[in-house]
Amino acid sequence: MPDVAIQTYKLTRTFGNLTAVDDVDLQVAAGQFFGFLGPNGAGKSTTIKMLTGLLAPTSGSMQLLGLDFVPNSVEVKRQIGVVPEGMGLFERLTGAEYLNFVGRMYGLDRATTRHRSEELLEFMQLADRPKTMIADYSHGMQKKLALAAAVIHGPRILFLDEPFEGVDALAAGTLKALLGRMTERGTTIFLTSHVLEIVERLCSHVAIIHQGRLVAQGSLEELRAGISGEEGSKTTLEQIFLSIVGQSGAERPQLEELSWLT
Amino acid sequence: MADVAPSAGLIAQIRLVAGLRWRLLRNSMRKKNNRLDLIGLIFAGIFGGILVIGLCFAFYAGAYQFLSNNRPGWIALLFWGIFLFWQSIPLFVAGFGANFEFRTLLRFPMSLSAFYIIGLAYGLADFSAMASLCWLLSMTAGATVAKPGVLPAMLLIGAAFVLFNVTLERLVGSWLERLLSRRRTRELFLGLFVLSMISLNFITPLLNRYGAAARPSFLRLLPYFAWLPPSLAGRAIASAAQLQPAGFLLGSAGLLLYVLALTLLLRRRFSAQYRGEELSETAAPVRPAVRPIAAKDDGPDRLGLLSPQVAAVLRKEFRYLTRNGFTFLTLLLPPMLVFIFSMNFTGGHPTWGKGVSADFFFPGMMAYLILILMAPAYNSFAYEGRGIQTYFTAPLRFRDVFLGKNIMLVIVLALEMALSLSMLAWRVGLPSLHMLVATVAAMVFTIIGQLTVANWSSLSFPRKLEFGQMRGQRQSGMAVLVAFGSQILLGGVSAVILFSGRWTGNLWLPAEAFALLAAAAVGGYIASLDPLTELAEKKKEALIEALCR
Repeated sequence: MPDVAIQTYKLTRTFGNLTAVDDVDLQVAAGQFFGFLGPNGAGKSTTIKMLTGLLAPTSGSMQLLGLDFVPNSVEVKRQIGVVPEGMGLFERLTGAEYLNFVGRMYGLDRATTRHRSEELLEFMQLADRPKTMIADYSHGMQKKLALAAAVIHGPRILFLDEPFEGVDALAAGTLKALLGRMTERGTTIFLTSHVLEIVERLCSHVAIIHQGRLVAQGSLEELRAGISGEEGSKTTLEQIFLSIVGQSGAERPQLEELSWLT
Repeated sequence: MADVAPSAGLIAQIRLVAGLRWRLLRNSMRKKNNRLDLIGLIFAGIFGGILVIGLCFAFYAGAYQFLSNNRPGWIALLFWGIFLFWQSIPLFVAGFGANFEFRTLLRFPMSLSAFYIIGLAYGLADFSAMASLCWLLSMTAGATVAKPGVLPAMLLIGAAFVLFNVTLERLVGSWLERLLSRRRTRELFLGLFVLSMISLNFITPLLNRYGAAARPSFLRLLPYFAWLPPSLAGRAIASAAQLQPAGFLLGSAGLLLYVLALTLLLRRRFSAQYRGEELSETAAPVRPAVRPIAAKDDGPDRLGLLSPQVAAVLRKEFRYLTRNGFTFLTLLLPPMLVFIFSMNFTGGHPTWGKGVSADFFFPGMMAYLILILMAPAYNSFAYEGRGIQTYFTAPLRFRDVFLGKNIMLVIVLALEMALSLSMLAWRVGLPSLHMLVATVAAMVFTIIGQLTVANWSSLSFPRKLEFGQMRGQRQSGMAVLVAFGSQILLGGVSAVILFSGRWTGNLWLPAEAFALLAAAAVGGYIASLDPLTELAEKKKEALIEALCR
């Protein structure tokens, strides 16, 4: 098994005149729980889409598990799992039907697919509604199902785009339990999230992207060490994030302009 | 503490809602991809304007003629015309999709009375309501010119008639909104709507066959219509014109009673909405049920000949087909159409004299059915939604997706053709053997030939469609054009070859020619799968963007 799970070289993606991802060199070691952070519109989803084959890079290259993605896309896809933005569910199937469909698409045999589907539905507490279509699931149920589908084939890298967005504490607990179990078994997890507390609690390593460029990368300790002053070791991820991408005083909205609110 | 602003007045709120409706319409036209909508709206506006203005003259003339020629009772017909238009058009225009949700206004500080009045005012802003108001005014003008003394009665009855119609329309709309908020009900209604549209084709044959027998029953029912609101309005005006106060009072009191009853019902509906009626479809939490024992189905795969990916897509397509009420119902169309056409044609065609020949009817019907059933293949990812991403994140070649989808379509087509052929054999009779073989080979040629083009079109001009909705459900213009072009081309070639047998005297020539063409089409289809896989990779961003909207 290669030491490096994900490696990008000058990965770039433009949309017309806009450079959404600009010369990103990213390195994620195998088995890491990696948080990919950035403000809205920074390029997180574009990067994750390129890493999962949903979007072609304009330039640069990427290797996953030691394989160049573009010429080996089928082999790479066999070893990764994805919860894409919007979850990518077929809403007219039931949860079990969807998991069976995905399992077969990843080449699992029928018996294995059925067995794993049942286990996953049970674990995700979705087995009580065997005839309910995904369109009728709540948002949290859909997130749990999307994660179940992403792991059914036992991926070595798992990409999660905002897995905790709009999810209540109970569903989030289930998702975290599954992710914890996967990291224990050596799966590399690449996660984007706006909830910095969750990233701080779950992730061992973090990268921050801002305006398409990678502005920080390393373990939480390394990022804390980069903060000057005695308080560096006690700095939270939110403080690190704001110190790196936060707006300057001149750009920050002036609260005194809303004096009528108080 | 922050200062709290006083609530806006009722008039101001009505003005704001009117402005909101206008801005929603204007902004929807500003989208780049809505140019065709704008052109459509301009044309609809021109034709709508011509219709309304033209009928204004007709209503004016009708009211004038009926009152001046001493036939005032006939004015009820004009009220019936307005009533039917006002109540039926919103049902068609509403379609079965999401509209602007009037109830969302409830988050603003608004009393129940204000909510009720704004609801009625909102109903008056519809095209059907505005057109009906124009026609009522024209009627009033026509009646007044014929008999000036009838003006107060026309104004009173006209106002009551407007109130009756707008209240009824809002009441029906409100109930429909409640019913259609559930996906399954929405799809059921859509299916019934499609079936009722199809069944209109039966009217002429049924009238021809049973019209005379049904006439006495219909005439017996007519007196009961006199107690319905348009007739009551007509009676009130007729009595006023003939200076019969008792008849006027009876007609207007009856109409006002309807208004009162509907007002109470509508007020009840709006009160439920005002209190916060729950229309959400999201699954409510349930107590864990006893787990059903999963069927052990680990035996041999019935689709074992196919690769797991192709089999998975095929199964998924089958499930989508059975859960898409609209598409599923269109599968009823082919045998129904054979039945309808055979009802019209058998027993003596005006041109052919002795009834239609199966040798003409069979290839003609099959061509027509292919035309209908192949159309969705030109935008075959329409219902995938966000699921399309799975095809690109899974380790498969896109040819597997096409194969799964195309096999499903071919199976459906084969079943439909078999059903239609059975219906044809029953109604018209089987065609001659050479024509049967030629037509079947022609179908293979046109279906497989079209599949190649349709796959390309699906990748190049994708357009998302929603299950169970009619509003805004439109294929890409280019996909329609491609479908139209390829169907004309393949249909034209097939027609020429079919008739070549008659021209050359060799009746088996078309069958032989189509067998060759069918083999070529199958070869071309197989050869196209790899280039289409490469095209899918190139087009994936556009495809995902179009379907994940």
